[in-house]
Amino acid sequence: MTGDKQWPDALAELARIRDEIEGIDRALIELVAKRVELARQVGAVKRTAGLPVLDPPREAAVVRRAGALAREAGIDDDEVRYLFWHLIGLSRRAQLQERDARG
Amino acid sequence: MIVVTRSGVSDAEIDRIRERIEQLGLRTHISRGEHRTIIGCIGDEALLAEASLLTLPGVESVTPVMKPYKLAAREFVAEPSLVRVGAHGGAVVGGNRLSVIAGPCSVEGREMLRETAVSVKASGAGMLRGGAYKPRSSPYAFQGLGVAALEMLAAVRAETGLPIVTEVMDTRQVEEISGYADMLQIGARNMQNFSLLSEVGSVQRPVLLKRGLSGTIKELLMAAEYIMARGNRDVILCERGIRTYETMTRNTLDIAAIPVLKRETHLPVIVDPSHAGGRADLVAPLSFAAIAAGADGLIVEVHPCPSDALSDGDQSLTLTAFEALMRDLQPFAKAVGRELSGPAPSGIAAA
Repeated sequence: MTGDKQWPDALAELARIRDEIEGIDRALIELVAKRVELARQVGAVKRTAGLPVLDPPREAAVVRRAGALAREAGIDDDEVRYLFWHLIGLSRRAQLQERDARG
Repeated sequence: MIVVTRSGVSDAEIDRIRERIEQLGLRTHISRGEHRTIIGCIGDEALLAEASLLTLPGVESVTPVMKPYKLAAREFVAEPSLVRVGAHGGAVVGGNRLSVIAGPCSVEGREMLRETAVSVKASGAGMLRGGAYKPRSSPYAFQGLGVAALEMLAAVRAETGLPIVTEVMDTRQVEEISGYADMLQIGARNMQNFSLLSEVGSVQRPVLLKRGLSGTIKELLMAAEYIMARGNRDVILCERGIRTYETMTRNTLDIAAIPVLKRETHLPVIVDPSHAGGRADLVAPLSFAAIAAGADGLIVEVHPCPSDALSDGDQSLTLTAFEALMRDLQPFAKAVGRELSGPAPSGIAAA
């Protein structure tokens, strides 16, 4: 039966793809950490310049751009927008914590 | 506030409209219908007064939603919502086809669960219910088999293909139960347990939200709003009877709640005739009334031997009574223009 041969092949292929996904997940985490770090720096610059930490127009523009890019990439733009609101929330909280830590 | 766009609006125009709203600190929710796209605004609507949305390209109208619930409001979406339950297509609740969820009040053992599942599936049920953790009025009553019951439900799903629905009572159980169940049920006693609602709002599982014993329709919709505000849009509402002065029935089935909910919300509405009446002989007439009033489905308690049931035996149907119910429901479904899977005509099933 051909099934006997195809079965281990399929499992090996599955393992390979999962490895690749895991690599992407690691890269994503590194990028998110980098984004949060950059947001902290933005927070510090804003404080020095006396600008408010919250900038809703800027956040809205970031999300709009992400949605447009998602469509170009052929993935669901609404899901990506959702993801980016979370990402922005993460960065925003990091900025605010920084401020709180400094009193 | 909802923004209705002109037909043929471009993605870039929609992006601009959303950005204008989001700049003010509100969030947007989009619903694309066959003929029109609706952008719902969530947040402080007073801020939108300055936004002059009507001047933006692509905007046809801007209307305030004068209700405390937004995401659940009928106006917020272009078409009534369909909720998909289970993998590989599973079951769809809210479409033209009626959905029937059946099974025992509590999972009491593997064999009784398997026997029930196979039988209700043959009768036309599309999902299996079964309690693993039971909210009992008495702390001394049977409390459910817990994880063992979840394992049994998963095994029976593998065998029958029926998606499984089970109740979650505590925020600490949500993650564990989500690992097994295809749909999480919030029981009537937890309708306003806001920490639990928030928790099930953050998982990717449809939620069956039952109306509280003394919950108003508005409170039920606000409970749904809680779940949806956390990101989980797959909510099914369940009318299961409310507490009144009547003592001949366990609860009073609020039939009027069905058309009112269908008018107020885009979420699917199902009815639990078992808890509503509290008696097996009331299940069929209440089911007929529910379907006639426009419900999208039913959740019915079925037990292979109700007299031996460890909980709610009085209101459970036998396997044959459930089969008869599914057959007798057919003309009611037809009368309201809905489809309903039923038992195979006798004689053919045996062939």
